[in-house]
Amino acid sequence: MNEELDSQLSAMFDDELLPAECELLARRLSRDEHLKARWGRYAIVGAVIRAERGVRLNAPLAGRVNAVLLAEPALAAHTAPRDRNHARLRWWRPLAGAAVAAGVATVSILWLRTQAPLPGAPLVTQVTTPGQATLPTPAASGQGDSYVVPRPKPAAAVVPSTELANYVVAHSMFSNPVARRNLLSAFMTSESPAAGTEELQSDVKAIAH
Amino acid sequence: MSADASDLSLVRRVQRGDKGAFDALVLKYQHKLVKLVMRYVRNPAEAEDIAQEAFIKAYRALPQFRGDSAFYTWLYRIAINTAKNAVVSRDRSPVEYDLDRNNNDESYDMQGRMKDSETPEGLVLTDEIRSTVNAAIDALPEDLRTAIVLRELEGLSYEEIAAAMDCPVGTVRSRIFRAREAIDRRLREVFEGGLGRAEELG
Repeated sequence: MNEELDSQLSAMFDDELLPAECELLARRLSRDEHLKARWGRYAIVGAVIRAERGVRLNAPLAGRVNAVLLAEPALAAHTAPRDRNHARLRWWRPLAGAAVAAGVATVSILWLRTQAPLPGAPLVTQVTTPGQATLPTPAASGQGDSYVVPRPKPAAAVVPSTELANYVVAHSMFSNPVARRNLLSAFMTSESPAAGTEELQSDVKAIAH
Repeated sequence: MSADASDLSLVRRVQRGDKGAFDALVLKYQHKLVKLVMRYVRNPAEAEDIAQEAFIKAYRALPQFRGDSAFYTWLYRIAINTAKNAVVSRDRSPVEYDLDRNNNDESYDMQGRMKDSETPEGLVLTDEIRSTVNAAIDALPEDLRTAIVLRELEGLSYEEIAAAMDCPVGTVRSRIFRAREAIDRRLREVFEGGLGRAEELG
């Protein structure tokens, strides 16, 4: 047996060996049964010097632990599949991110398209009148706090007139200008006074002209 | 010198899947652990069972061991908890003990607890190991004996021993190694082929 190696083993047993040397010796110790047996005897010497009464020095404890652990997978085997899964996840992560981003972009585009006016359609502002925008307060309605949402009925009165005006303007090339103007005026007057705002009129007129 | 570098290098090897490195840790701490557990249970065989359980728990928990504390300290905590739990569970099941007593067989309990190295041969071998080591220590030159006793009994570091013995640290390392070698030569004769022989006898 190499005396220098044994000297290092003794120092390692006392935790007095340099970490780099410990790394190398630990590798050899875990494989070399003779070295391990010597290591075990160093432990026995210590136990005798400390007069550890009642402790059986020839107890096959290490052998028993070893026998139990033989049936178990090595710790690296426990961690390896997890690492592989992590690697797999790492591979999927950019693709999953791109898919989510694409999905969000698609939904955004579809939503914007539903909000945007149709191509070629005139830009007509839909304005709600003050009367329509006002929600009845609990005090005014004579009711207490309620979670019932009131129906949005006034909006229906505006949309048909606006749509008709849009329709007339869009087909202006097929109609007489005088008749068209009269029709638009009729739309304005047919709405409630609140609905005939100056802004709406001016918009419609600007488009009609 | 970084503290616990020795244990840590073995622990890292176990964490990478080297079971042989854990074997070295068990060999190093088995006696200390059994001694510790015997504060909670008097019976050596029961203490060994608990120590075995503690080692296995430690092995399974090693992936979570980050090295913030010394392995030795961490292992001791596991052993103490295992011993306390064993005592509690034993106290909760006194029926078995009563049945043993009702059997009116005085030797039953003794035989039940007596196993492995607690056989007469095992006990003789333990005594033989002890007397051989003590005889070998007595036969050591004064400087070697002082160095090994200060290390093993007092737990002093090489630097502290060097200060106490007024010699370089390298000399301390050499003296402790030579003391161990001299004792080990005698010990191997007892085992007639090393520690494995003792385990077979156990």
